[in-house]
Amino acid sequence: MMAASTVTRIVSIAALPVVGFLVGVLFLGLSRKITARIHRRYGPPLYQPIIDVVKLLTQKENISHGILFDLGILLGLAGALITMVFIPAGGLRPLSASGDFLVVLYLMLLSPLGVALAAGASENPNASIGVSRKFILALGYEVPFLMAALAVMTRFQTTSLLEVVSCQEGSVLDWGVFVLPLPAVATFLILPAMLGIRPFDFAGAPQEIASGPMVELGGKYLAFAAIQGALHTYVVLALFVDLFLGGGASMLTFLAKMLAVFFVGVCINAVLPRFRVEQGLRYLWKWPTILAFFGLLIVALRLE
Amino acid sequence: MDMETSFAAILPVAFGGALLVYLAGKVSGALRNVLAVLLAAAPVALVAVLYGREVRIVYYSLPFLDAQLALRTDALAWLFAIAVAAIGLLSIVFSLRYMQGGERLDFYYFAMLLVNAAMLGIVFSADLLSLFVFWEILSWATYLLISYRGGKAVAAGLKYMVMSIAGSCAMLLAVASLYATCWTFDIAALARQVGAMSAAYRLFILLMFVLAFGIKNAIVPVHVWLPDAHSEAVSPFSAVLSSVLVRMGIYGLMLIMYGVLGQGGLAELKLGPVTFAHVLCWVAAVTILVPLFIAMLQDDAKRLIAWSSVGHGGYMVLGIAFGTTLGVAGGLFHALNYAACVALLFLAVGAVEHRTGTRDLNELGGLMKRMPVTFVTALVGVCGLIGVPLTNGFVSKWFIYKTLIMEGHPFLALVALVGTWATILYGYKLIHNAFLGQLPSRCREVREVHFSMQLPMILLALAVILFGVLPGIPVRAISSVQVSLGLEALESGLWALPPAVGELNTINILAGVVASLAIVYVGFALAKKARRVDQFDSYGAGSYVPPDRYQYSVNFYQRAHELIGPYVRDRVDDFYGWLVAKAEGFFEEARKIYTGNVNTYAAYIVLLAALLIVLKIGGQFG
Repeated sequence: MMAASTVTRIVSIAALPVVGFLVGVLFLGLSRKITARIHRRYGPPLYQPIIDVVKLLTQKENISHGILFDLGILLGLAGALITMVFIPAGGLRPLSASGDFLVVLYLMLLSPLGVALAAGASENPNASIGVSRKFILALGYEVPFLMAALAVMTRFQTTSLLEVVSCQEGSVLDWGVFVLPLPAVATFLILPAMLGIRPFDFAGAPQEIASGPMVELGGKYLAFAAIQGALHTYVVLALFVDLFLGGGASMLTFLAKMLAVFFVGVCINAVLPRFRVEQGLRYLWKWPTILAFFGLLIVALRLE
Repeated sequence: MDMETSFAAILPVAFGGALLVYLAGKVSGALRNVLAVLLAAAPVALVAVLYGREVRIVYYSLPFLDAQLALRTDALAWLFAIAVAAIGLLSIVFSLRYMQGGERLDFYYFAMLLVNAAMLGIVFSADLLSLFVFWEILSWATYLLISYRGGKAVAAGLKYMVMSIAGSCAMLLAVASLYATCWTFDIAALARQVGAMSAAYRLFILLMFVLAFGIKNAIVPVHVWLPDAHSEAVSPFSAVLSSVLVRMGIYGLMLIMYGVLGQGGLAELKLGPVTFAHVLCWVAAVTILVPLFIAMLQDDAKRLIAWSSVGHGGYMVLGIAFGTTLGVAGGLFHALNYAACVALLFLAVGAVEHRTGTRDLNELGGLMKRMPVTFVTALVGVCGLIGVPLTNGFVSKWFIYKTLIMEGHPFLALVALVGTWATILYGYKLIHNAFLGQLPSRCREVREVHFSMQLPMILLALAVILFGVLPGIPVRAISSVQVSLGLEALESGLWALPPAVGELNTINILAGVVASLAIVYVGFALAKKARRVDQFDSYGAGSYVPPDRYQYSVNFYQRAHELIGPYVRDRVDDFYGWLVAKAEGFFEEARKIYTGNVNTYAAYIVLLAALLIVLKIGGQFG
């Protein structure tokens, strides 16, 4: 019995990154397809991101700006991997008992930290500008996101993601989105900012600052950054589903919910142009923050 | 040597050592340096053996007040004493090279050792009179060290001194008042008697002490001395100042809140539904939020860390004032963790300044290549400040967040979490602007600092990681503090918390991070090996790349600054400045009364006499 559960656990730890990667890249491919169709283009095939990664990994030449540059990229990807295994995904919940939501919030830092260190080590001001923009963006969306996260934790009286999910297991009306509508809407509004897609893609804007933190990346480095981006997409969507859509009884329903959120998000984002940095910050600190603030206030008042 | 002798030896060694080092300096500089290190190391050993012991000795009986002055050690005193002794030793070792060739070195080492001795005296005081005396010695010694460099430093020192005297007055008032009521200075005796006093009186006593300790700990709105003091002080002293000296305020708060008044007594201090602790929590929240955002906008590396110190002091006060088991443990643990991180950062910035001659974040860059050890240790320090998992700051902040959320104070938790995001921003700015990006040509010849300066930084960095991976080690010492103060103790394994407390297992996190890094590295190694390029071989997106100026660090967060700048000015300092200007104007006017002319003075006397006569006559008829 003990051995069997350990085996399942190891298998699930090993399986999650693969699932995350596939989900991430397929969602990316899907978003390109949807955006293309909205723009009345045909668009690349669904598996185009996978082709891109394979191409990049097998490129003849890679250039590096030193040890920290390499380590930053490694930490970026490793950080995304480790975050994944702490987030309950449907039936799979490999390491969730070793760290709660607060741990996940902090583990989510490792990736951007790695990218930021690599960007700083890449000796190119475009990369530094990109990091500065990325951090300002993060400061922007973290305020409403933390409010929403605190609303969830306070409402369900737990900091454990496992318990947050199990609190929503009753009927559909127990889902976070119905129990906590304001924080849920606020979090949905900031999803594009967390994913770094339009209108919040100024941190890596190709036309302005030559892709920002990624300006010096090529070959396997760019491939690693792309994989990390895919895993990050998975992490953000999985968190949203766990917090507000009741997680999932099985992997399948879990992924279906993620897909639904992503689809709606992409349809909105495909028709929006890019914000400037301060516009983005101002927007994030206005509507999502106001909604999340009142959501949190209501939760706090209910406690009294 | 038995415990009592060992304990009795600490303060004579510390104070005598300061004097001895000063005298040795008159003989030879080398002798002075050796003695300084040895005499800074002695208290570390003497304190270390006292772990888990409780000793009390009476060292002087006041003949006229019928009071005994005593020293004692317990879990709380030990925790702070070991931090003071260790940081003191490391900063002295760092000073050897950093201060080499400086002027008035005898005086410098004397003052450094005096500060350490005074802090040890404070934590070991068993009565309030001793505490007050050592507190004063500390304040004056600190003043000497802040203004050591002269010039602007004297003004910073004076700013500190004025605020410090205000705090001392408040403390003296409380001590004298307590003596007049209870006829004792002894802290343990006061703790027994304090329950019988009225709530209003206890609140008065508490407020006076909180003012004194709050000024030391730089709580908003009495924080204004700290940023100036740090930018002017020499770096090894900044490390001491920010890591342990200002935390004497935290020690004092613990002592007065839990050692004297007690948890039950604190809960009675309230106005309607608002308890004293609640107010202090929100003061702490403001102390976290505003200073950390101010830190984000600083360009002077030491000023940036100084503002960070103010803000992180808020976390400690928040945890302690919140008063739950996890909260008090988190607050104390954070004081310990922050001490290691901030001492490390001040030493690292000192190392950079030592080699490049500047700490202006707009003029540095790329030093990672020239000072790798300083860079890596500073990075560890910043990670500790942020609380990246597997550093010590993570665990203590986790304690604080967890208890705030579970006790139903999400807005306090929000402030603490947002403060961490500000920390990420200024932490990265510090690392990036000094160590990352392109190396300017004038820094091309910079070398790594001497090993005696690296060693303290390496040891502190190791401590940051050790306490992050095995938090059980310090938490055990903190639990015994809680036990000795009659609080509920936090139980913790070496790396995992019991499920009743929460889900945190640092070894599993470590295993996960190592495993993921290993997997990723295998993939990385399998792909084609990279060619190393130098800093000028970078992509300019088709635009002209100006040599030596291709660095983005000035106004690093300009876009955010435009939005938040107006809200995060230090308005308190502005207010004090306004007050001083107005007061000066008033005194200037008042001075005009003294004309220096005998005739005017004669007129004053006549006028006064006339006034008195009028009053007298008016009184008779009225």
